[in-house]
Amino acid sequence: MTEKKLLLTGNEAAVLGAIAAGAKIMFGYPITPATEILQGWIGKADKSDELQYLQTEDEIAAGFGVLGAVLAGEIAFTASAGPGHVLLQDPLSMAENLRLPFVGIMMQRGGPSTGTVNFSQQEVNLAAFGGNGDGIRLVYSASSVLEMYTLTQEAFQMAWRYRFPTILLGDGYLGKMKTVVELPADRADVKAEPILKEVSESTNIRNCYSSEADLAEVLQKNLADWNHARKSLVLSESYELDGAETVIVAHGLVASAAKDAVSILRKSGVKIGLFRPITLHPFDTEVLKKAVAKAKKVMIFESSLNQLARIVKYELADQKVNYEEVSKPAEGFTAAEIIKAVKGK
Amino acid sequence: MKTVKIILAGEGGQGIQTIAKVLSDAAFKAGFQVAYIPSFGVEQRGTPSLAYLTIGEEEIRYPRFDTADYVVVLQKRAIKVIGQFVDTNTTLIFDSSAVPQALLPKGAATLLGIPATAIANSDFIPKVFNIIVTGKLSQILKLPKELVFEAVGETLGKKFKDEKIKKANEAAFEFGCNFEAETDKFTKATFTPSEENITVKGHGKVAQIVPKRCKGCGICVEKCPVKALSFGETLGVFATPVPDIDLERCIACGNCYRFCPDAAIEVWKVS
Amino acid sequence: MENIAPISWKKSSKPHLFCPGCGHGIVLKQLGYAFDEMKIARDVTFGIDIGCSLLAWNFFDADTIQTHHGRTTSVMVGYKMAKPERIALAYMGDGGGYAIGLQALLHAAYRNNPVTVILVNNENYAMTGGQSSPTTPVGMVTSTSPNGKRAEFGKGLHGPELISEIAAPNAYIARVSISNPIQLKITLKKAIENQVKNKVFSFVEVLSICPTNWKTNAKESFEILREAEKLYPIKEFTKEKEVEK
Repeated sequence: MTEKKLLLTGNEAAVLGAIAAGAKIMFGYPITPATEILQGWIGKADKSDELQYLQTEDEIAAGFGVLGAVLAGEIAFTASAGPGHVLLQDPLSMAENLRLPFVGIMMQRGGPSTGTVNFSQQEVNLAAFGGNGDGIRLVYSASSVLEMYTLTQEAFQMAWRYRFPTILLGDGYLGKMKTVVELPADRADVKAEPILKEVSESTNIRNCYSSEADLAEVLQKNLADWNHARKSLVLSESYELDGAETVIVAHGLVASAAKDAVSILRKSGVKIGLFRPITLHPFDTEVLKKAVAKAKKVMIFESSLNQLARIVKYELADQKVNYEEVSKPAEGFTAAEIIKAVKGK
Repeated sequence: MKTVKIILAGEGGQGIQTIAKVLSDAAFKAGFQVAYIPSFGVEQRGTPSLAYLTIGEEEIRYPRFDTADYVVVLQKRAIKVIGQFVDTNTTLIFDSSAVPQALLPKGAATLLGIPATAIANSDFIPKVFNIIVTGKLSQILKLPKELVFEAVGETLGKKFKDEKIKKANEAAFEFGCNFEAETDKFTKATFTPSEENITVKGHGKVAQIVPKRCKGCGICVEKCPVKALSFGETLGVFATPVPDIDLERCIACGNCYRFCPDAAIEVWKVS
Repeated sequence: MENIAPISWKKSSKPHLFCPGCGHGIVLKQLGYAFDEMKIARDVTFGIDIGCSLLAWNFFDADTIQTHHGRTTSVMVGYKMAKPERIALAYMGDGGGYAIGLQALLHAAYRNNPVTVILVNNENYAMTGGQSSPTTPVGMVTSTSPNGKRAEFGKGLHGPELISEIAAPNAYIARVSISNPIQLKITLKKAIENQVKNKVFSFVEVLSICPTNWKTNAKESFEILREAEKLYPIKEFTKEKEVEK
């Protein structure tokens, strides 16, 4: 069931998704190409008694502001990109240690350093493994403006249900492109409650431990929860995988171009399909395993240097796979380019 | 409608994104699938402005493309960014009064000239040049005229409160819709940035103006205490007018030179 | 063509990348003349922040390094430690210097590190399209204060006042405006001389204009600048002078 048809940018869709998920406070700092999420949220908050915002002095303050609001039981989030995402590793790491629900929407831009503001998929490692921990974090990758809306809701839902820091990856093109979307009417049902409970028995939370054993106990529990939740968290899309001799693996907007390429190639009789991980971490390994079992070749397309490939190869370590990696760090792919690569020209 | 890919290129601030936004809004209202993405970057204001627009009936998954069905180029400096989009199926549309035809990339299927800048300057007001182009493009793309003009109104919003501006836009749009594009004999491109430095001598003073550096900000005109500066006919690097200087009035105070952010003007006394 | 552009300007990078009517061009022109008159262009290492200031990355015929947002002061402090004979300049905007980079700026001033920081204050985050900054005056409409900056905010971050509270007495601290280019050049020269001669910290805030995000023509830009000069007074904050008085 759809609610309404709109012409939206990905950044606008993210704002609507956050509101639909029940978010109440946004903290942020201007950074291209994610600034419109902050601006869009402020535009809505200025007309609402329910929504609040704070433009902070940097991304670190924004991230820790989110943690403060979350501790108080509010649904809060931030949005950033590239160098701002790097600075957010500090609060993300605290969230990972304390199992605080934290939602960050990251519109990837070219790196390293200030790089470009346009497009990239180079923040996969950062999102999943950027902190001084093992990366018990949930990472989604959106491949359309519609998904900037639906996955924003999913991110809030899962962050608060399982209490893992959660990152939604988009990119500059997705943030700035305007396209027709039909927003589904159903809403995420996010339940938040104070973590510092202010009841007679005081809550005392620490993130610093005096012995290896004390910390290890916490880490083991977090890991057990993560492994337990895995099955409920993983999401992927399979497209034309039946009988596919070549399986393309791609995420985000690259997967959208790949989908166009697959549909064109299928029409000319090429047995090819697409596996698109929607969660990059954890990864929908079982579905991909089935897809590659009879495939002759797995082609990994990404706008980064082997960041997706490393995850895929780790997850498929027990499979015999003939890989071909096509990496274009910080550059996009058009369907025509993917077709060319598939044909080996 | 078969899916069509359109690239628009011009000078930043010229209204390229307005054209793309209007056409995408109108196509959306007409029930089409649309994808529009502006070029953006840290140097966005110093480089040509580019808009990718895709319109069709099928779902559009990816906003960029390699070659375009329509390439629209509206300023000379933007020519260098459009070459890659032209192939043998491309219709190349250009402002023939601002873009020299000889400099256009070769190999396009069709060339269509619209002397929009010249017409806007002579028949309407300079600012509506992009609305003339919008009119012509909506006719080429067969988008419902009334929906396109409605989108013009929504995009220009406040400016339409001024009845004179609204009328000029209406007339320019109508003109664009009905304009028979040039196909072999093209208007001479006179609205192009000047390459030559201007030296003016007289009244014991010499003035030097460098159009290649002048961005038309008007600070020199504003800071001149004796109103010796006014905008003239010559065009600067962004195709905006550069100042004319009246040396009879000029007192060689040096304000224009001290304030010019681009080092495009200087006056000195000679004995 | 006597003196139309400073000799220290890199000619191949002109026309520069700043918007029409941007105040950065006016600041960098006077800085260029300061380099010329002091004959120091080849002795300067020019550090540049992220924000519109980044567009100055190839502006001068001098060694330049673009650093990260808010980190230029720190990079130039380190550079100066390793190469004390060079003149270390850090160039940034009000977002880079007064928000994300304030901590580094305050501590460099407090430690009296021998660098010169030039901060161009145009009262908004201009590169990202005109968001509210720590110096945006109350009431000003920006894309993150669509109804005007809220009245409960303070009077705006007064950098030279703040820094002069904690800086050593021999640090040179001043605020100037692009409305007076000659005073601007003299002030920039004093700040650089203080680094060269006294080997201590100096800081110049330059009030500037942003026609693109303020959506102003030349006349209106300078009207807003006049208001800014009322809120942020033009003066030298050097304590040594106060002591002399």
